[in-house]
Amino acid sequence: MINIDIGATAIAILTLFGIYSLMAISLNLEYGVAGVPNFGQALFVSIGAYVAGLTYTRVLPLLAGLESIHPCGPTMGQALQLRSEIMATQPLAGFINLALTLLIAALLSGAVGFAVSYVTLRLKEEWFLALVLLVGGETVRIVVRGADDLICSHNGISGVAQPFYFLGDARSGSLLFMLLCVALALIAYVYSQRLVRSPFGRMLKGLRENEAVTRGLGKGISLARAQIMLIGSGIAALGGVLFALNTGFVNTNDYVVTLTLDIWVMVVLGGIGNNRGALLGAALIAILDRFTQVAAITLNMSGSEIEFNYVRFIAFGLILLLMLRYRPAGLLPESPLTTNAHEVIRRARGPQPVSKRA
Amino acid sequence: MPPALLTTSLVNTIQIGSLYALMALGITLTFSVMKLPNFAHAEYVTAGAYAALIVSLSGSLNPIVILAAAFIVGALTALVSQLAVFKPLEGRQVSFYTLILSSFAIGLIIRYILFTMADYFNLFDLRIQIPLQIVYRQGSLILSNLFALVVPTSILLVIALTLLLNRTALGREMRALANNANLARVIGIPVERVKNVTWLLVGGLAGVAGALWGMQTAVNPLMGWVAIISVFAAAILGGLSSFSGTILGAYVVAFSENTIMLFLNFNFGVDLAYKPAIPFIIIIAVLLIRPQGFTQLIKRGGDLQR
Repeated sequence: MINIDIGATAIAILTLFGIYSLMAISLNLEYGVAGVPNFGQALFVSIGAYVAGLTYTRVLPLLAGLESIHPCGPTMGQALQLRSEIMATQPLAGFINLALTLLIAALLSGAVGFAVSYVTLRLKEEWFLALVLLVGGETVRIVVRGADDLICSHNGISGVAQPFYFLGDARSGSLLFMLLCVALALIAYVYSQRLVRSPFGRMLKGLRENEAVTRGLGKGISLARAQIMLIGSGIAALGGVLFALNTGFVNTNDYVVTLTLDIWVMVVLGGIGNNRGALLGAALIAILDRFTQVAAITLNMSGSEIEFNYVRFIAFGLILLLMLRYRPAGLLPESPLTTNAHEVIRRARGPQPVSKRA
Repeated sequence: MPPALLTTSLVNTIQIGSLYALMALGITLTFSVMKLPNFAHAEYVTAGAYAALIVSLSGSLNPIVILAAAFIVGALTALVSQLAVFKPLEGRQVSFYTLILSSFAIGLIIRYILFTMADYFNLFDLRIQIPLQIVYRQGSLILSNLFALVVPTSILLVIALTLLLNRTALGREMRALANNANLARVIGIPVERVKNVTWLLVGGLAGVAGALWGMQTAVNPLMGWVAIISVFAAAILGGLSSFSGTILGAYVVAFSENTIMLFLNFNFGVDLAYKPAIPFIIIIAVLLIRPQGFTQLIKRGGDLQR
């Protein structure tokens, strides 16, 4: 048996929870609320990670007042050392770099989401959008991996340190980074709760339930769809930046269809259309992830022949199948929306239940 | 591009295109008859390839025995996924995305069961050991007995499937189901049985394709998953409804991946690392510009929904 450090485990799980929450909230806004089938979540998450890979190699040295070194090829080691030194000694440059990374990632990913939404307006059938997004994510991955100089192809960029690395003490550094992740997730949660309850959010739900009626009520559905893709993709990219910082690597191999599926598992498990469900799903998957990691290491050390990392994927598939079959609304089903008008009517009527949304 | 390279790439196009056709017809058939874009299709290919590998390792190198084993295992995998996953969902009028997600989920489960098995028995990247010999050589054109096995087998199976669909009672029932499931039920077609037989056929063909694939490259748990996008591209070129369109699509995809890619590499210096992007670009382009694929170019070509 290995000793499990409870404090470190809790920090790791909460960090993952924050990162996964951003991704799950993003998908929940897009699919759960607005009904846009985003099977290309990995694309928008990866945009965040790629931007981090670019800023850490190109912008960070400039912020620290140093010459940047080409990150790939023969100067790879030198560039990595330069990054690590800056992150260890110049916290201010690290923070400004992170702020820039988050900003650029959100804007770029949002713009891509918005653009994709318009390009795909002409699709003959709605589910083609799912296919185009799925395939688009993989295409971008292959192109980024093929471009040798961008983020070093197969090697990827290592040393993408989190901003509290300069503290030297790994424990407090990861604690602070965890707080950052959770704080960003909570901001995203509060924002998306407000969005869902706003008139815009109600329009999106209308769009999801019946496109023709919503259009008939004079709502511009194409723009609304593009807007929610902009918001959702932006949030997903924030998750991508933190994901890269948490592992310390940017590598195209991490942003495959399985990542998209992981995010779908979170949303389906927690409850489609419910932001609280997205948080719950993210929390459960973060725990499961950590648990399988520990189990895999423990089993390998005890000489077991079975590779437990594969069991994780089988478990994910089973969770998804069982939820879709027996509890399609998720653990925390979406509750009917109540507005101020509902409240007034309810009070006037006396104690009667608010009629259920179809 | 030197002619030697051209002929080699054309041979590859025919060989790989035939395998794509075998797999893509399954996608088209499940989509038409079951209204389901089945991403788990990839795993029937892998399951068949592993069945073939295990049979070949346990001593039988007779191609017919190997292919039969692959057919049976592929067919059973497909039938299990229908009975355990898709059938229970059908009755509930679930959304299309639930079906897509479920197909991803069952695919994930099968794939990682195969991973666990391959890891346990150390069966990664082994080729199905059919003894290789050169059967034809003229100039730069070299054909092995593998080519003589893969291409005729695939083409025969494709023809057999087309005949089955167009000439037999079962085929008529499948086409009726593809056209209008409710009407098919009303006129007394045993819908469940037809569906099950369709799944067996689809999975079996995928399994055979996996076995043939494993004879020319190597068997690993990701082989089906890696090919699935090319296969989907072929099916989408066939408008997800036309048999001849799908077959044509399979060769078009294989041609772009081999000959065109090599041409671009040789003449414009495009890195071969971009090869996997080709089917993706085909899918996006077809869905955006010509969602019906080849279906309207081919007037009377075994369209399932005419």
